[in-house]
Amino acid sequence: MTEKPEPRLIHFLGAFGAGCLITLMLLTNGTLAQYGSLMFSSWVPHLTGTALALVILLVLRPARTSPKRPPLWAYLGGVSGGLTVIATSAAMNSALALSGTIALGLAGQIVFSLFADARGLFGLPQRMPKWRDFAGLGLIVAGALVIIFFGGAV
Amino acid sequence: MILFVSLAVGAGLLVGLSRQLNGRLALSTSAMESSFWNHIVGLAFVSVLALTIGGLFEGAPMEAPWWAYLGGPIGFMFIAAGSWAINRIGAAQTAMLIIAGQMISSVLLDAAMGISGSIWARTLGVALILGGMWVTRTAKAKS
Repeated sequence: MTEKPEPRLIHFLGAFGAGCLITLMLLTNGTLAQYGSLMFSSWVPHLTGTALALVILLVLRPARTSPKRPPLWAYLGGVSGGLTVIATSAAMNSALALSGTIALGLAGQIVFSLFADARGLFGLPQRMPKWRDFAGLGLIVAGALVIIFFGGAV
Repeated sequence: MILFVSLAVGAGLLVGLSRQLNGRLALSTSAMESSFWNHIVGLAFVSVLALTIGGLFEGAPMEAPWWAYLGGPIGFMFIAAGSWAINRIGAAQTAMLIIAGQMISSVLLDAAMGISGSIWARTLGVALILGGMWVTRTAKAKS
């Protein structure tokens, strides 16, 4: 919060790579849901993810960046993630289908992130989106919608 | 219908909320610790839910291929990467790059798996997304 790190290419590649991981997760968790229950397909990755995280924390022992304890609500990201699974699966089984659910989800995500940036929500660095951000956002959303509704993908 | 539209939009809001909270946690701890807490708190939440609703082990989950169980380790990296990026490039750019990565990789995966679909739509979509990334990237590089 003291100073904003200069955005570098590596940060962009990191976020882009994270998006590629979602595709793999949809494949693994979706396959799991074909054999077991929807609940199981959310429970297992949480379990195996926790196991790997424990090993990594014990081996690497990453240092805490601040001596101050984070606020308790900052630990609730996992609850929000768990609720996402429920909301998504409910919407997916309606007339919206998978493509509509994903498209509306993208909209929700983008609205939230723009608002969060503009307000510096939950103590993260505040930054006003510039017009080029909106232009880039518009192109990415347009491309995503073309792929979702006309590409036969996802 | 309004209910389901709200649920779908709400899911997106929750994704953003989750990333924001994990990002805040990473600010005081580390991206990896933030991902750990996200998973263990999520595990507790889903477990309670599974116990309440039941039917967790219904079907034939043991017959799934072994690689279907690897979603957890991938998810660990995903949350850690998101928590790391959001504190450096902001929520909006993190969200749009994650969306870009997801869309482009899903097109590549579909092509690799031979799933049929419109080639022109996929190409146009990928081109628009790459254009969007280029616009954003050059904006930040100059400022």
